[in-house]
Amino acid sequence: MSLEKKDEYDHKNWLESKDLTPVEATFLTALIWVDKRLRIVDYLELLESLYYRSNLQMPKSHTEQYDLDNKFWYWYALYTLGFFSTLAYVVAAISGALLGFYYVPAVGSAGPGEASIAYSQIAFIMRDLQFGFMLRSIHRWSAQVMTAAVFLHMLRVYFTGAYKEPRELNWLLGIVLISLTMVFGYSGYLLPWDQLAFWAGQIGVEMSLSIPLIGEWVAQLLFGGFSLSQATLQRMYILHVFLLPFVVTALIALHIGIVWVQGIAEPH
Amino acid sequence: MTDDTTNTDDEPRTDGGGTGIVAPDDETPTWRERKERTEGLSRLTYEYFERARSEDESLRRESDYVERDVLAFPTWPHETVRNLALTSFFVGMIIFLSATLPPHIGNPANPNSTPAIILPDWYLYWSFGLLKLGPLNPELAILGGQKLMADRTYGVLTNGVVVGAIAIVPFINKGSARRPVEQPFWAAVGMFGVTLAFTLSMLSVKNLMPMNVDLLFDLTFLVPPIVAAITYAVLKTMREGYMYDLNRRYYRLRPPK
Ligand code: HEM
Repeated sequence: MSLEKKDEYDHKNWLESKDLTPVEATFLTALIWVDKRLRIVDYLELLESLYYRSNLQMPKSHTEQYDLDNKFWYWYALYTLGFFSTLAYVVAAISGALLGFYYVPAVGSAGPGEASIAYSQIAFIMRDLQFGFMLRSIHRWSAQVMTAAVFLHMLRVYFTGAYKEPRELNWLLGIVLISLTMVFGYSGYLLPWDQLAFWAGQIGVEMSLSIPLIGEWVAQLLFGGFSLSQATLQRMYILHVFLLPFVVTALIALHIGIVWVQGIAEPH
Repeated sequence: MTDDTTNTDDEPRTDGGGTGIVAPDDETPTWRERKERTEGLSRLTYEYFERARSEDESLRRESDYVERDVLAFPTWPHETVRNLALTSFFVGMIIFLSATLPPHIGNPANPNSTPAIILPDWYLYWSFGLLKLGPLNPELAILGGQKLMADRTYGVLTNGVVVGAIAIVPFINKGSARRPVEQPFWAAVGMFGVTLAFTLSMLSVKNLMPMNVDLLFDLTFLVPPIVAAITYAVLKTMREGYMYDLNRRYYRLRPPK
């Protein structure tokens, strides 16, 4: 008899007694190894319980209970606009990441009316890159479609009264989201650094400058100065490909998470 | 809920009675049950869980904590196929647009030559239109007819007013009414907003509009109230019949006492 303390949960012994295949033995050993250190079982259990709970039977919806379906069917298609916004966002993110392999946010030594590095890179993408023209087109259109879908989604929320108590928070979050969507579009609009981009940027700087009290700070922060330069392009680039993607993705997740928790507003 | 179902038994209820919440018919599967439903590696995982957490397990079995079992449309294939169909349709639409109407690029930036037409993307037109409200900027007699702030500042601040107006809506309009017919006023407010966004967009491209600019400016503020008034009138007229229909259905289910 050994003096060694016997563990009530002597997993090793248990493993040996089980006659496992090599795959099973490796799997279990790894599982036990990780679990002893990180207690992943607790987290897995949490996830599983979440899974079971989120599949609870829902109460009968108002529409079902009063058999009102025939009164509302024509609204239902509009309830997919939020999903459509998300989808267009994902398409824009993927095509944008691909564009990012080739685009360079630099004015370089280009004088007025000359092609900057940024401009030449866009020209390169459109003319020389395989599939580049289509890629840029997809990015543009998914952005346009997303903005349109978000706007229409907001209208559907308004006209179906879905913003009411207790969904005020999501309405406010939505306003932040639609604003950020527009900033997304605006910062992207400046990146080709063509005439349209430059003069849209010019208006942006002037608008920032005319905000009372903090105008100059805003212009400095967003545009890197009071007139357009390399700094402007670079800031717009960082906004467009770094800051906004993180923030907007997180906010969309939160927005949809809240919808999940609160449920879709039923027509009454 | 129990009370509700017992003392309303005698009333006719076509909706099945109660709140519509169906009583739990199954308990949370225990680790053992979950284990028995699976095989292979996941079964082994559960076997280990059962051993490692037998204490939790017995507590769980003693408690009267109840979860309901899954009862819904199956994720596969029902939900998944429908979602994939929707997704491919939408993505297809985007790709179709991209293929048929690809964007082009203008001349390189040139600070020395202001183009005749400066425009942001279409979704910012409304905001751009707000910058052109100079004529509405109040002049103060005290300041000798001077404007309180620059036209541009005025335009930028109105953006804030618009966003603020949208933001306070849920704090003003509460209650359970959902459909526009139930609240013609709020539907009219909504139509006012949509139309204003549209007319402001038209105003922002005023040099492209084949119309007298003053007339366009007036229409920008005349059209939205007119649309709102029409919306209100139509919905108010519809309301009685619509609500009657709805109430009839409702009262058939819950006859008034
Ligand atoms: C990036 C933009 C947005 C995304 C991706 C998004 C996504 C979604 C999704 C997927 C839903 C679920 C229901 C549905 O699809 O209709 C939803 C619901 C909702 N959204 Fe958005 N949304 C966005 C912008 C907005 C905006 C601009 C508003 C309003 C100002 C808004 C307010 C709401 C509200 C109140 C709900 C709950 C509606 C209900 O319960 O019926 N969202 N959103």
